[in-house]
Amino acid sequence: MSASTAFQPTRREDVRLLTGTGRYVADLAVDGCLEAAFVRSRLAHGRVRRVDAAPARAVASVVPALAAAALPGRFVVPPFGQPGVAEGRDWEVLAGERVRHVGQPLAVVLAADRYAAEDGADAVVVDVDPLPALVGPQAAAASDVQLFDGLGNVVVEQDHGEPVPQEVWAAAHVVVEATYTQQLLAPVPMESRAVLAAPDGAGGLRVWCSHQAPHRLRDNLGQALRLPPDRVRVTVPDAGGAFGSKSATFPEYLAVALLALRLGRPVRWVEDRAEAFSAHTHGRGQRQRVRLAADRDGRFLALDLDVLADLGAYPHVGVVVPTQTALMATGAYATGHVHARVRAVVTTTAPTAPYRGAGRPEAAYAVERTVEALARRLGADPVELRRRNFIAPERFPHTTPTGRTYDSGDYARALDVAVDALELDRWRTERARRRAEPGARPLGIGFCSYVERTGGDGPLLLQENGSVEALADGSFLARCGTSATGQGHETAFAQVVADALGVDTALVRAVDGDTGEVPHGVGSFASRSMQMGGAALHLAARELVDLARQRAVAWAAAAGPPVPAGSATWDAGRLLLPGGRWIGTGELVTATGELRADHVFRQEAAFPFGCYGAVVEVDPDTGEVEVLRLVAVDDYGTVVHPVITRGQTVGSLVQGLGQALYEEVPHDGDGVPLLAEGLFDYLLPTASEVPPFVLRETRTPNPSNPLGAKGAGEAGCIGVPPAVVNAVADALQLDDPDLLQMPLTPARVWRAARAAGAAS
Amino acid sequence: MRVEFDVNGERRSVDVEPRRHLADVLRDELGLTGTHLACEHGVCGSCTVLLDGEAVRSCLLLAVQCEGRSVRTVEGLADGEGPGGLNPLQRAFSAEHALQCGFCTPGFVVLLQGALERDPAVFDDPEALRRLLSSNLCRCTGYEPIRRAALRAAGRDPDAV
Repeated sequence: MSASTAFQPTRREDVRLLTGTGRYVADLAVDGCLEAAFVRSRLAHGRVRRVDAAPARAVASVVPALAAAALPGRFVVPPFGQPGVAEGRDWEVLAGERVRHVGQPLAVVLAADRYAAEDGADAVVVDVDPLPALVGPQAAAASDVQLFDGLGNVVVEQDHGEPVPQEVWAAAHVVVEATYTQQLLAPVPMESRAVLAAPDGAGGLRVWCSHQAPHRLRDNLGQALRLPPDRVRVTVPDAGGAFGSKSATFPEYLAVALLALRLGRPVRWVEDRAEAFSAHTHGRGQRQRVRLAADRDGRFLALDLDVLADLGAYPHVGVVVPTQTALMATGAYATGHVHARVRAVVTTTAPTAPYRGAGRPEAAYAVERTVEALARRLGADPVELRRRNFIAPERFPHTTPTGRTYDSGDYARALDVAVDALELDRWRTERARRRAEPGARPLGIGFCSYVERTGGDGPLLLQENGSVEALADGSFLARCGTSATGQGHETAFAQVVADALGVDTALVRAVDGDTGEVPHGVGSFASRSMQMGGAALHLAARELVDLARQRAVAWAAAAGPPVPAGSATWDAGRLLLPGGRWIGTGELVTATGELRADHVFRQEAAFPFGCYGAVVEVDPDTGEVEVLRLVAVDDYGTVVHPVITRGQTVGSLVQGLGQALYEEVPHDGDGVPLLAEGLFDYLLPTASEVPPFVLRETRTPNPSNPLGAKGAGEAGCIGVPPAVVNAVADALQLDDPDLLQMPLTPARVWRAARAAGAAS
Repeated sequence: MRVEFDVNGERRSVDVEPRRHLADVLRDELGLTGTHLACEHGVCGSCTVLLDGEAVRSCLLLAVQCEGRSVRTVEGLADGEGPGGLNPLQRAFSAEHALQCGFCTPGFVVLLQGALERDPAVFDDPEALRRLLSSNLCRCTGYEPIRRAALRAAGRDPDAV
């Protein structure tokens, strides 16, 4: 064997993706496929008077063009979330009466290619009477203008934990208060949304979609199009990232599916970047008020978090996000009283949705920034203050005042590792030197001790399906209800199954993201794929071994002298029987028929944790922030595939840096996103923005998971923003935490530096 | 309009509307879907191809501008089929886990292949390499593995810098 043929790729996905032979939705070659272009609202809020699609039909090669009037009555996005939330708040597939955000679809035009479809879309005549825009949850909550007639703009009101008694605040030695904004973010997977729907020739539908929850999409499409779920098959081909933003059943998907059925032709829609910035969902979007009380020794007495959440124009998958924030308001601490209140509000910007972290980054930010503000108020060491207040390792499982049961944890250990990896003493010395030296650039140090939730909760997310089948050729096929959008499931799941079977990984093929191959599944979000899907496959593989042992005994009896029950042993894909006989799984399948084990794995959410530390330097004259060092200590439980997991940590860390320093979807007063130049205006981190970083791990296995796994994938988005912003606040010695709001643009930092200078 | 150019060493002749950009012609007319479109306004670099050896954004170039020229896409990089056919840069990407979803990957690989062939000095200068890598966007990897893959492919020690 030559050296070149011996090359082993890190992942099975790598060869096709590195040679241009991967297949994303836009790459699928389908005969006679029509391409869709949507006509979208330019106004944030208005009453639709007329949408005339007829002129589009005059454009050469445009096939049909549809506005809402041509759709079946009440063709709306199937509701999601708590019962009652969507009632009276229909999300029309094509807006026929009212538009509620810039970019909302009004009509769809199909043509043989995208150029002609866009020509047709340009010809559609739209007449909308403007109504007042409601930008941001505060304005919308306070406004008399109702986004949905007869219903208030506040859609959700919740309390988590008991309200903190007044006497606790009154008796506290110190109470700090802070207000934070979680800006709206654009998820920006490099591949935007994409769908292709084709009639299957038997009255059903084949759908290819870049999606995190193909089973839910299948069920929603069936429901909306009045097709039984088994007549719809959704396949997720190669998918170009998602980060939480591809789990909804979008209006565009419903329109494309309907048109494919009506016309009896394949129809595809591939979102372009300009559309994505206004019409795809946004992440985050909260106004937070936090109060934290402590006694003379710095022991936390009470924390109150008030969340005003921006749902955007339609309450859909985004409804779950602020609830997650509230449930995690306790953080890593043994605080006696914790209470969180949530109000979620509809506004006239694009609907919000989970985005990498989905409520946990918001919670960690609210808690951890306030902890450091309290340390500053007390003149205490933020590291010591945390140590004094952590939930102790012997107190797990631990139920928090906000109703979470943390499975396991050693928060002080993660903090110790972070302090060590950051070389805290050295940087503190440097900080002191600079503070003493006139004109030296200020340097600051910040931390974040986080706890998050993975796997999911609620009846919808507590389970995942895995199956392992022995095939006649001696190989094994693993099927999982998850859906990969870049996380390398083909590789990692094959490893899980091969390990459980004790066979070579090359003998296992893993499939997910296809409702035809895997009829039941939940999907990939909440960092759940390994924790839930991997565990299901592990247990299915173990059951396959038991099944094969039983089957081998039956086979032995039929093929020769019987052997005692339970006498077959598994040996790396072979069944060994008394008397030196054996049979391979492939032959066993040939001789006895299908050999397959299915497992539905159920588990409560898991609570990974860790500690992030940042050292920053600030130029007070320009407001520029330079991150000199970043340390991430994560505890994901037992790590199954270290290389892929590390990749998740680094990627999420840079996304977290994006929220802290660069990214924001701003809107003008009319609700128009100020991103006319797309990716020139929306600043994603590039290679130049990646700071020197160090990754460390602690490993506290998940006690109720067969792999010991907790979720990994979102931690960087959770840990980085508070650590970095705390470091900037430390550099500027800010007494008022409200002066720093993300993203820390040079202008904001410059103003904060001026304010701090004026106050001192 | 008829336009003739070399694509991955093969002479191709296609009839195209003058307004069609090179990326669409590569993808739709020539079936080379490895070149990906992620922004279509020249920011992200996912659609990077080599035009007469120079890295360009194929979404900013009309196909008719390529008359008589030579285009190299991600499909033209490997030395053969399968893992054994990956070229040293492609191997380095896999070895360093420098790709996750793979959507931006063709652009980065083509960009760096161009630099390896035309401007290898870039790999000795951390600042120049940083600038080069900053011309493309990736949302999954956090870039550090891509930087390491570039150094490894150039025969430099990724841990040295």
